[in-house]
Amino acid sequence: MLAQITAVIIFLVMFVLIVSGRVERHLVTLGCGLLTLILVFGVCMRSPEAAVETLNLQSIFETEFWYQTGGGETSSAGVNWATILFIAGMMVMVEGMSEAGFFRWLCLALAALVRYRPVPLFFAFMLLSAGLAMFIDSITVIMFLAAVTMELARLLRFDPVPMVLAEIFCANLGGAATMCGDPPNIIIGTSLGYTFFDFLANTGVMAGASMAVIMVYFYLVFRKDLAAAPAAAERHSYPDPRQAIRSRAAFFSSCFIFLMAVFLLVTHAQTGLTVALIGVLIAAVTLIAAGGRTAWKILRRLDYQTAVFFIGLFLVVGGLEQTGVLELLAELIGQWSAGDAMLMAGIVIWVSAGASAFVDNIPFAATMIPVIRGLAAAHGADLPTLAWALTMGADIGGSATPIGASANVVGTAIAAQNGHPISWKRYCLPMVPAAFLVVLLSTAIIYLRYF
Amino acid sequence: MDRQTILTVGREYGSGGRDIAALLSARLGLKMYDRELLAVIAREMQVDARTLERYDEHRGNRLLYRQVGGFSNSPGDNVARLQFDYLRRLAGEGESFVVVGRCGEEILRDVPGTITVFILADRAFRRERVMAERGVTEAEADVLIGRTDQRRRAYHDRHCTGRWGDARCYDLCVNSARLGIEGTADLLERYILARQAAAPPDHTTA
Repeated sequence: MLAQITAVIIFLVMFVLIVSGRVERHLVTLGCGLLTLILVFGVCMRSPEAAVETLNLQSIFETEFWYQTGGGETSSAGVNWATILFIAGMMVMVEGMSEAGFFRWLCLALAALVRYRPVPLFFAFMLLSAGLAMFIDSITVIMFLAAVTMELARLLRFDPVPMVLAEIFCANLGGAATMCGDPPNIIIGTSLGYTFFDFLANTGVMAGASMAVIMVYFYLVFRKDLAAAPAAAERHSYPDPRQAIRSRAAFFSSCFIFLMAVFLLVTHAQTGLTVALIGVLIAAVTLIAAGGRTAWKILRRLDYQTAVFFIGLFLVVGGLEQTGVLELLAELIGQWSAGDAMLMAGIVIWVSAGASAFVDNIPFAATMIPVIRGLAAAHGADLPTLAWALTMGADIGGSATPIGASANVVGTAIAAQNGHPISWKRYCLPMVPAAFLVVLLSTAIIYLRYF
Repeated sequence: MDRQTILTVGREYGSGGRDIAALLSARLGLKMYDRELLAVIAREMQVDARTLERYDEHRGNRLLYRQVGGFSNSPGDNVARLQFDYLRRLAGEGESFVVVGRCGEEILRDVPGTITVFILADRAFRRERVMAERGVTEAEADVLIGRTDQRRRAYHDRHCTGRWGDARCYDLCVNSARLGIEGTADLLERYILARQAAAPPDHTTA
């Protein structure tokens, strides 16, 4: 009992500190993770085995960590090293692509393709945002897309805020479509043993249908702002996409590496390569292709704090899992839903969406995985259905508020840095109904398809 | 003015800091930046100045905004940053000017030729000035003084390592109630001229 209370207190302190933003979130999770190891596993449980199991270092030395002949969920709780290695590998690749000028080139080339007309540009950037976010983290997608949107808005004299908001939403929606699109998905996928195609065939279908609806919704909501844009500037003043490319060799090699990453991810169920191995391979190829000084530059720019954040987070959630707190939570949800699987899926998607609108969806998803596993085991609910509900809820709910997802923060920050500060009211007025609409549509698809 | 001179003026509400800054700006022939700095920035960025002004010295609630990898989506933080960047750019271009508030003493600390002052005053002096200028009662003036000082302190301390009004952060802290507005401006003018005379000869010119 004492161990459970301590684990819950550490978890709540971690959440409050993350939400308050007073301390860097990686320091928060690391500190709380260490407290879990010392207080929960050491002092309360006196169980070095639980600590070793939660640290989960032994999994890295197992063949299945790198190569799997058949899908299967990870047996052990604790630190999900596969997620950390994959995210780190993708970070290296994305840094290499940014260094080569790939993203800016892509945004500008697309703008040129639609001849810089605001309405086609609006649709093109929504599609680009969703498409890129299926494979690349949404922060990077928004960082480049929002910056180019600001530049074009100044040139074409339109209000960039509607376009940035639509891009943010579509980045989060695109991220929901695949296993590698959003950190909660990769945690869910690696923990429960799902493949890229499992996600694409389930959350991908929901995201695709939602994308069609949401593009129409945003157009209807923002059409007056877009129509208000005066005639485009003279052609000669447009930025040249070719100027975005810093080195042709680096550009082509980064395109090749990106396509290789997509191929490896799409075929990982067939090839047996795990996402951990794909992450390591992609990072290695990027660094070798970049060579000496550039490779060092890429490594120095890497966001190591994210890896630390994940390690600490998994330790804290491991504490809840080892002490049986998450089993109790699963039991509670089971009681609320009276064992009704439909109600369970409904609770999972709507609670996930509501929670993710205000708190970081990564710790939320990491916490919920053992809960849905428990629900499936105790009440016979279909685990994949609950996993898709959790994915859609956690990924889409985050779009509803300016603090719900990292892409929202970055997008609204870039707008503000360019003289367009976005208040909560301005953000939430179009985004809350959009998130509500997509969660409603996803719930309907889940009910119609899986029950 | 031969040498680059930047005067940063921090001030308590009602102390006459802005008036003193305006007097010095006129006497020394320096451009003054205060609230209208945002209008200048807005014009340059081709955005609506009113939107920026809404978030000027805006404290913001930490729970309502987040930071991700150096990006903050707090409108107040970003409007402050726009002003800081603009002032740093002006200073970098060698311009001489007077800036009121805007954390000037900290963000321009490393620019040679920067003189930092903080104007404070006795409560009675400030109250009287606020009552006369705003046409409010004594009680209302006290509330205004309390609120404005609190807002300025919160804004300053959010963006600076030093504390608002802490004598260690400024070259000079002056109580304007002792010599009055004109007298304090005279004193500061002499100080600025003395500083210019004492500055090394290789100092950037405007």
